[in-house]
Formats: sequence, C-alpha cells, structure tokens
Amino acid sequence: MERPLIYLDNAATVWPKPENVYHFMLDFYRSTGVNPGRSGYDLAQEAGSLLERLRGRLTKFLGGDVDAPERLCFGYNATDAMNLVIPGLLSRGDHVITTNLEHNSVIRPINHLVREEGVEATYIPFDAQGFVEPDTIRKAIRGNTRAVIVNHGSNVIGTIQPIAEIGKICSERGITFVIDTAQTAGVIPINMKEMNVDVLVFTGHKALMGSMGIGGFCIRKHVNLRRTRAGGTGVRSADPYHIEEYPWRMEFGTPNMVGVAALWAGQEWLEEKGIGNVYAHEMKLARRLVDGLRKIDKVRIYCCESLEDHLSTVSMNIDGMDAADVGVMLDVDHSVATRTGLHCAPLVHEQLGTANIHGSVRFSIGAFNTEEEIDATIKGVEAISHWVDTRRSRPAAGAPAVSN
Amino acid sequence: MPIIEIRGHKYEVDEDGFLQSPEAWNDEVACDFATTEGIASLTEDHWKVVRYMRSYWQENNSVPLARKLCKETGFTLQQLYDLFPSGPVNGACKLAGLSKPPSCA
Repeated sequence: MERPLIYLDNAATVWPKPENVYHFMLDFYRSTGVNPGRSGYDLAQEAGSLLERLRGRLTKFLGGDVDAPERLCFGYNATDAMNLVIPGLLSRGDHVITTNLEHNSVIRPINHLVREEGVEATYIPFDAQGFVEPDTIRKAIRGNTRAVIVNHGSNVIGTIQPIAEIGKICSERGITFVIDTAQTAGVIPINMKEMNVDVLVFTGHKALMGSMGIGGFCIRKHVNLRRTRAGGTGVRSADPYHIEEYPWRMEFGTPNMVGVAALWAGQEWLEEKGIGNVYAHEMKLARRLVDGLRKIDKVRIYCCESLEDHLSTVSMNIDGMDAADVGVMLDVDHSVATRTGLHCAPLVHEQLGTANIHGSVRFSIGAFNTEEEIDATIKGVEAISHWVDTRRSRPAAGAPAVSN
Repeated sequence: MPIIEIRGHKYEVDEDGFLQSPEAWNDEVACDFATTEGIASLTEDHWKVVRYMRSYWQENNSVPLARKLCKETGFTLQQLYDLFPSGPVNGACKLAGLSKPPSCA
C-alpha cells in the first residue's frame, strides 16, 4: 500500500487549502457565478460586491490606503502583476535596483527592459546568512534610480528581508519601493504604510489560501503606473481608450471570480486561525527539520544558521548527489514531495554556488504539516545519505552482459 | 544541431546530448549511448527498462515518471540508479533515445 504523500512544496503552492475555501469557491460559483457588476441585475451586483469588499479587506490586511481600495488591482498571479508593475514604472534611461534573491517574475521583466528598452539595472547580492544589507541598496542609488524591487521572503532560502529599513531609504530618496510578497503575504504581518512600501505584489494561491489564477498588487495613492494593456472594463464602453481610473486602469477583462471567492474564504480562515499562530506552527516544524538535517552526514543546508527572520522554507543538498535525484528518491521511496532545481530564482543559486549542481532540494512547510511528517522526511534524507555511502563503496550492479 | 560520434556512428543530439529525433532510435543507439553513460555493456535489466521507456513514449509521447517506471519494471529506484548511474531520468532516457524531460534546472 502506498504511503500518504508528505507535501513539502508549499512555497510552490500551498496545498491543501482549508476546507472552507473549497466549499466557498464552489458555493459562490454555483450561486453567484455571473460577471461582476457588468450588468444591472441583482446577482451581478452581488458578485461585484464581493469583489469590491475583497479589495477593501486585502488593502487593510496589507496595510495599504484603506480609503483607496480601488488601488488594489487583481491579475492572475505575482508574475502577471510584476509584468504590469515593472514596465508600468520604468522607462528608457531609468535605473532600477533589485537583488539576487529575486524570482524570475522580477528578473526576466527587468532583463527584457534592460535589453530592449535601455533601462539600467543593479542586482544587489545577499550576505552569507541570506540577507540584503539596506546600506548596500543605499549606496547603489543613482540620480536616475526610479525603483527598488525586493523579494520580501526568498522562495529558495526562506530569509525575510529588512523591508522597513529599505523602505525608509527609498522614502527619503523619493524612489518607488516595490516588494514581492509571494512567499510572505498571509505568513507574516505586512503594513505598507509603516514599512514605506509603495507597491506590493501578491499571489493568491500560496499563504493567502486562495486559488491558483488570482494575484495582483496594491499601490499607494501617491504612485502611478503606466498602463501597458487595454481592453474590456465593463464600464464606459463607448470610450475608445482604456479607462484611466483605478482599478480599471490596471485590470483587463472579466476577473477570476472563483479566485476572488477563494481569497475571501482564505481571509476568513486566516482571521480565524491568526497568521501568528500559523507562522509559529510552521517555524516550529522548520526548526525540527533543520535540527534533524544537521545531524545527517553530507547534508549541506543553506542560510539556516539562525531561523530568525526566516520562513519555513529550507534548502539543502546531499554532497555527491544531484538535487533532482534526491528529489526523485524522496518522492518515490519516501513519499515526500519537494521542489528541486533552481526554483525560478537562478541568481540565488549562482551566489550559493549551486547553479552548476542543478540547484538544491527545497522543503517548504505549510500550515497542515505535522511533526510526524517532518520526522519521516528527516529519516528519508538520512536513508538517501546512507545509500550514497554504500553506493560509493561497491561496483555498479548488473547481470552478465547479453546480446539483444 | 550538434552531432556527436560514438563508436564510429554519428548522431544528431540536443544541447543536453540526448538524441534529437526519438524516431531515429534502434538497439545500436542504446548500445552506443551506454558507453557515454559509463555502462560497459547492456544487461537484460537495462533492456527491460529501455524497452519500457520506448513503449511508454510510443503510447503517450512522454516519459514515464520515476514512480511509474519502478512499478512497471519491478525495479526499486535504487536498483535503477545502479543500472543507470546518472539516474533513471537522465540515463534511461538517453539510452532510449528520448528527450530529457523538462526540469527547473
């Protein structure tokens, strides 16, 4: 009989979701799955009402301008939102500062602007513990620096960056500060105003406990984005051009209302559980995992010397093993689901020196993991490490050669 | 496309050194590529895996997951690693003339 899967790939997507999320998504779509607000009938208004209430609720949750909930715009995911935010901020001749911790959702849009639009970019390395030093960002600022974009929590090594300190620097210099909260929204408290964050990009399917296919950004009142798409808005249809007011300015076509429902239910769940409690549970398991892995010969853990300012995401390798092979063995022999490779964050691996060994094995713990699952995972890594030893000490197996 | 020569035979390969066209595969390809994988000679066990990979690909136009490969061939994963030192994904795919499955790295 197959063992139940131990899911440790929550940094890719949180799974499973709370039961109330599944129920509300289905119930809402069945009862109210019409195009929101576009038409005047009651049901359309009801659907639109959930959408608008969610804008307000998330704006408050993220510490944005609660008197301007229209500035929380929905898209498909964080990559989609970054593709609206980054080209919406930067033009030819602008300079942007970002970090080696970024996901490709930031790296690639910036690199395209550098190659094709004459934007200049500086990538700031992280230190040996996995943190970006705010003063390094200060020193990289130039006269034409238009934006600083920082990954709040690394999806590879799990470190949480000093956003408030970087935000203060940006605020003093009048530079737009953008953060990627794909790994942190719903995990740790975020307050855009207190942290001087101008634009916050989020995804819905991770710790916000929503579904895949919804994400977006929240933008402060004093910042504006250039629109780079155009299309249906459901309002003022006679206008030959796209609507300039938020949220329509940055939303295009029919929204993902099933995703809206999921995010709403996710907020309900987070409110009931308390994100501090969920985070404490995940970090307790992360400590257990790191403590266990540290005892295993040949295991190399990255940037986990301290788990202060850390997410429950842990990357490691076993000396002498390709990360992908360890992942396959954990999956097939131990029923542990991890993510191996470069994690869409190639610069992290370049800096760690793991790019040429095909990245690392990432364990990302979620709200529904248990101590027993962590212990089984440690045992799995131990068994693989032991197998590497025995494999080295004997010749390759194989029956006598045969002609075929 | 790069061309490599193994034991006097020339093969068109992709950037990872896998056979460019799976249709061009035959037993000789497997024997030739085995030498690039550090496999001195192919055993019945190797052929069992390679044949399964080929038949799966012909039916599904894709490569079986490691879990399925173990189940269908009766080998444990560790036995597969013993047979194909670079792993069932890389090693067995290469010998079976199939493309390297896409991965993050």
